[in-house]
Amino acid sequence: MPGCPKRIGDCKDSNWKMIADAGGESRTGAYGWDLNVRQIEIQEGGTVRLFAAIDVGSYMLGMKIFELSEKKGIKEIDYIRHRIDLGTETYNTGKISYERMEELCEILKGFKEIMNTYQVDAYRANGTSAIREMRNMEIFLDEIRLRTGIRILPLSNSEQRFLDYKSVALKQPNFEKIIENNTAFVDIGGGSVQVSLFTESKLMHTVNLRLGILRLKSKLEILKPGAQDYESLLSELIDNEIHVFKKLFLKKMEIKNLVVIDDNLPQFKKIIAPDPVTEAFSANDFLQTLATHRSMSPAEVAKELDMSPENVALFMPSAFLIMHMIQATGADSLWIPEVSLSDGIAYDYAERNHFIKSTHDFEQDIISSVETLSNRFQGGKRVAEELVQCSLAIFDSMKKLHGMEKRERLLLELSARIRDCGRYISMSFPAECGYSIIMGTEIIGLSHLERKMVATIVKNSYIRENDNEIGWRQDLDEKSYLTVTKLTAILRLATGMARSPRKKYNGVKAQLKDGELLITIDLKEGLTLEKGLFGERKMLFEEVYGVKPVVRNKTEKRF
Amino acid sequence: MSTDGGKDPAINDGTDSGEDKNQPTNTRRSRSVAASKSGNAGKAVKNVKADGTEKKRKTRSAAKDVKKESDSKILKAAMGRKNKSAAPENINFRAPEYYTNRELSWIQFNERVLSEARDKDLPLFERVKMLGITASNLDEFFMVRVASLKDMVHAGYKKPDIAGMTPGEQLSAISTATHGLVNNQYSTWNRSLLPQLKQNGITVYMDHGSLNQEQGAYVDRYFIDNVYPVLTPMAVDSSRPFPLIRNKSLNIGSLLTAKDGKGAGLGKSKKKASKKGTDFALVQVPDVLPRLVQIPPEDDGDAFILLEEIIKRNIDKLFLNYSVQCAHAFRVMRNADLSIDEDEAEDLLKEIEKQLKKRQWGEAIRLEVEDHADPELLKVIKEELQIEDHDIFYINGPIDLTFLSKIAGMDGYEELKIKSWTPQPPKYMDPDANIFSEIRKGDILLEHPYETFDPVVNFIRTASKDKDVLAIKMTLYRVSGNSPIIAALAQAAENGKQVSVLVELKARFDEEHNINWAKTLEKAGCHVIYGLVGLKTHSKIALVVRREEDGIRRYVHLGTGNYNDTTARFYTDMGMFTCSEPIGEDATAVFNMLSGYSEPVSWNKLSLAPLWLKDRFLYLIGREAEHARDGREARIVAKMNSVCDPDIIEALYKASAAGVKIDLIVRGICTLKVGIPGVSDNITVRSIVGFFLEHSRIFWFLNEGNEEIYMGSADWMPRNLERRVEILFPVERPELKEDLKYFLNMELNDNLKAHIMQPDGVYLKLDRRGKKPLNSQKQFCIDAKERAQKGKEKGTGRVFIPETPPKDDEESSNI
Repeated sequence: MPGCPKRIGDCKDSNWKMIADAGGESRTGAYGWDLNVRQIEIQEGGTVRLFAAIDVGSYMLGMKIFELSEKKGIKEIDYIRHRIDLGTETYNTGKISYERMEELCEILKGFKEIMNTYQVDAYRANGTSAIREMRNMEIFLDEIRLRTGIRILPLSNSEQRFLDYKSVALKQPNFEKIIENNTAFVDIGGGSVQVSLFTESKLMHTVNLRLGILRLKSKLEILKPGAQDYESLLSELIDNEIHVFKKLFLKKMEIKNLVVIDDNLPQFKKIIAPDPVTEAFSANDFLQTLATHRSMSPAEVAKELDMSPENVALFMPSAFLIMHMIQATGADSLWIPEVSLSDGIAYDYAERNHFIKSTHDFEQDIISSVETLSNRFQGGKRVAEELVQCSLAIFDSMKKLHGMEKRERLLLELSARIRDCGRYISMSFPAECGYSIIMGTEIIGLSHLERKMVATIVKNSYIRENDNEIGWRQDLDEKSYLTVTKLTAILRLATGMARSPRKKYNGVKAQLKDGELLITIDLKEGLTLEKGLFGERKMLFEEVYGVKPVVRNKTEKRF
Repeated sequence: MSTDGGKDPAINDGTDSGEDKNQPTNTRRSRSVAASKSGNAGKAVKNVKADGTEKKRKTRSAAKDVKKESDSKILKAAMGRKNKSAAPENINFRAPEYYTNRELSWIQFNERVLSEARDKDLPLFERVKMLGITASNLDEFFMVRVASLKDMVHAGYKKPDIAGMTPGEQLSAISTATHGLVNNQYSTWNRSLLPQLKQNGITVYMDHGSLNQEQGAYVDRYFIDNVYPVLTPMAVDSSRPFPLIRNKSLNIGSLLTAKDGKGAGLGKSKKKASKKGTDFALVQVPDVLPRLVQIPPEDDGDAFILLEEIIKRNIDKLFLNYSVQCAHAFRVMRNADLSIDEDEAEDLLKEIEKQLKKRQWGEAIRLEVEDHADPELLKVIKEELQIEDHDIFYINGPIDLTFLSKIAGMDGYEELKIKSWTPQPPKYMDPDANIFSEIRKGDILLEHPYETFDPVVNFIRTASKDKDVLAIKMTLYRVSGNSPIIAALAQAAENGKQVSVLVELKARFDEEHNINWAKTLEKAGCHVIYGLVGLKTHSKIALVVRREEDGIRRYVHLGTGNYNDTTARFYTDMGMFTCSEPIGEDATAVFNMLSGYSEPVSWNKLSLAPLWLKDRFLYLIGREAEHARDGREARIVAKMNSVCDPDIIEALYKASAAGVKIDLIVRGICTLKVGIPGVSDNITVRSIVGFFLEHSRIFWFLNEGNEEIYMGSADWMPRNLERRVEILFPVERPELKEDLKYFLNMELNDNLKAHIMQPDGVYLKLDRRGKKPLNSQKQFCIDAKERAQKGKEKGTGRVFIPETPPKDDEESSNI
């Protein structure tokens, strides 16, 4: 076929290229496949791009078609959903049966046809817990790709939650206002529930509770409770987890708002607040309305909520979860925005492709949640701050040499900020402990790989005997390995300078000049310690960048 | 007859409802509704709906239903004593005496059609046509409705209908009523139409014996040349069993004796033959030949004879060694109802093909025979068909009057016909401009057949060629024989558009036709969806998705009638084009649903059966009742083809009791009764039977002055609201609302073609002394013509709305 392929179906897989990451090997960069087809020029000079976001959820397959343009931002054109229970099989057996796979392929083929109809320019398909927890995930996804031509990217939990969160932040008009007060985000999924806590517009904690509604549903199905026991069993299942959560994270924090992301609750919202203008409603109203529905049979609830009976089995666990959350947090306002993962995917894609500009600083969320993490492990705030300043100064001055971008800069910042957390466990082995802490904690907004990169950078920022770089490469692809090495080199160098809790740095400047990196530190005291430590810490840096770092006090001339 | 043009306008409506008998299968009505109904009439009514998938609806509280039920029982008892005009809240609106049986109501409808045939003010050919229509209507009624009832009786199903009649009781009432109807048909023919045709120079010879010599010779020649070669006479003897008599075919039965006097010898042992040694023989009147044969006239004018008379005259040529004792025409009607178990049918297409073959072999439910037929002959036929006396119709005239449409369609005799109507250009668009840009200017209303159907065909045709069109999606229920829409869809697929078509295979009597062109579409590359399991897709919606400069735009056509360019010339239907975003989104969701994806989270503007529509209607009616109770003016005007849904009627009764003024324009079945004190004294029902078949569905609610007007594909029948996919859509552009109000008003003021339902259930024409005669259909024709004329004068072909002054912001005020 001559010329450019017009539709997805015409394209061979090889023609589909990833937009953000041509390498295509990592999950980090995979933010969508560009079909590299025509883009309609609109008269004003902007472009309208059609984008399909596919959400391979644990009980629902959804696809939204969006129109993206600089002028109008994001506009939903079509929303296609199909029920398919992938979660139950994965959660219980770690695999998906052949029949289910067939079904999935059929639906995906249908989706692809619809994409063809709209002649979408790009799409992104993401899988959540049902895919993630599959033991043979890679083989499964490859099979799906071969049979349907659709590549599904599994999202790590934190990535998935971040997208959900992002879509709320971008779709909910007064989002910034909501989070001014203490707010808990409750993102209810099939496999788990993510609770994120905001204080003064800052993301503090994010916790994953294994209370996904599909999981609860299948647990209940095994237990087969009568109508009488159903409630108490469900409550018990939920309560245990929420109790621990409250003790560890909520403590004395007073939560005012609850923002709930769920597929089925928006229907319920219409019953509580039939007036669509009201965005928030009181938690009391929710509890009261729920009380009237608790006594109903599933069929009655289905009728009342205009919901299919299958969804009622998922709605009830959701509603109970929220009930317990309200009780645990004491929140008095409830927000139930109508968002789905597909929205998050589209917002993410649109943002990365500059169709929309976000008013909310998502990086700040990641940073503040890392700050909270660091606090939890008693990291010194000022020291961490100085290390960050120093590292970033070096990073920024080296742009020409390292060729890294904003995202890598963020990783560096995070690594610097959290570097000392390991000391809380062991003063002697901060590197290993830091690595484990980071790997064991969810950092919302970071992919699994990115988290691993941060952990590796932190670990290697400590100089050990038998310093062996080969060890870093474990589990990292080449690109990530290079990034990690480059960032480690910077961080190491920076740690050589900002180390003393007693000293007060007034600022750090770095400048690349004549093959040397000139680092100027504004410090009243002398730089003896820094200079002494510098020697062993600059080796990697010189090796990586071929640049000689030179440090000096602002007051002194070059030495 | 499965296709288009030949189909009489009234044929497929009002009666094609045999599926109602399938009540015991899956329905969406929940048990609690059944329970609430069962309180009626003090009869032990157990709804046998075995609804595994039962869902939703009326479940707000079972307790409530139980209460209602017990209330109603008490009331029932109280009312039984006497007082009918109890306080509104104490009335059992489901009492059987408040309802008419739907079959009897249908027969009344056919009587109204028949009354047109008796209307001396109508041109003769129109009257002849109407009589033909009553005949084909009745045929379908028997095959579908009567057959269903027979099935119920066989199955021992005794549940009374809403009017309290068991299937058995209904059958006997139907038998009485239809015998009366048939008598009326033939007296109309014999006493009125036949003589008048003759007066006007058209002689139809009813008996071959009355031909003159020349004519006789002509007929005999015709027989030898044309008829004889295609005849297949069949005798019955020991080696030849009684042949199958095909459904609806006209046959001639004869009794023969052998010429050698041996009494044929064949029949001795057979019970089919009579004791006298006669044999039974049968010949089918071939349907490949025209039923009406033109013969040389005696003097001026035209003369005709029926084919069966020609065969009867020459019947001895078929049985050379026998002498023919008698020969009489007869016709059998069989149970033609298709009951397909869709849950089991693996491939719906194959199943329907199979059922089509079966249709010819169903149980005999009606026998028509010449009234002077030989009793001996009749006995043989009766025994063979196992038909009971009350199912036999003795016909005084030609059996099967559907041939009358041929007379009515004859060339010439213009003075005996209603002048044929040419649909006019639409009011709201320039037919020469690009249809998409016309739609962008504002919603467009099409009033067929007063306005042409061309824009609809043009819509699909333009879309098939337009480079920016991505997809065309459409539902098709009944289409014409050589449908330009099908051609355009196929063309679109060949042009690389994504074409999805939902073809309803279950459209009664059109199945065969539908299968054929569904295959054609598939071959062309369209994505064909063969309907939904358990539901008929009756909605009429077409969606064109276009990628325009500023993004995706969706153009939608919604209608009240089928995408059939032929019937659009004599069915009155409404259609609307729009590119409103909320409707576009809904339309997309409709097709997603029809393709098997989940229902949308919510609907913007459209209401769909079977899930949401009934609730929507009940809400709209209830809202008016609410307003009336609050002492505000409340009014409903609704126009459709049939009203027989018990829930809706109950709501209407309650609304009427609350003081809502309700005017219904219902062409066909209406099981609601008017003028019951305290129940329906605020309701009027009128039926318009005219030159065009009234077919549009328009629903107007006063809503405290914020009038809401809806149109759609659904009647107020259970099958529409519960077992079909139907769409109700709002009309929001103010000009269009005004037009529709004018339309309804005209119909409400029609005093020529309207029959008004009386409290006793009888329909009477208005006494129009002192009133200006108004035939609404005629008036609409005049209006359309005037508009077109004005448009021409303007020289642009564009017609502006005469009654509203032009606004500066016309475009922005459009929806």
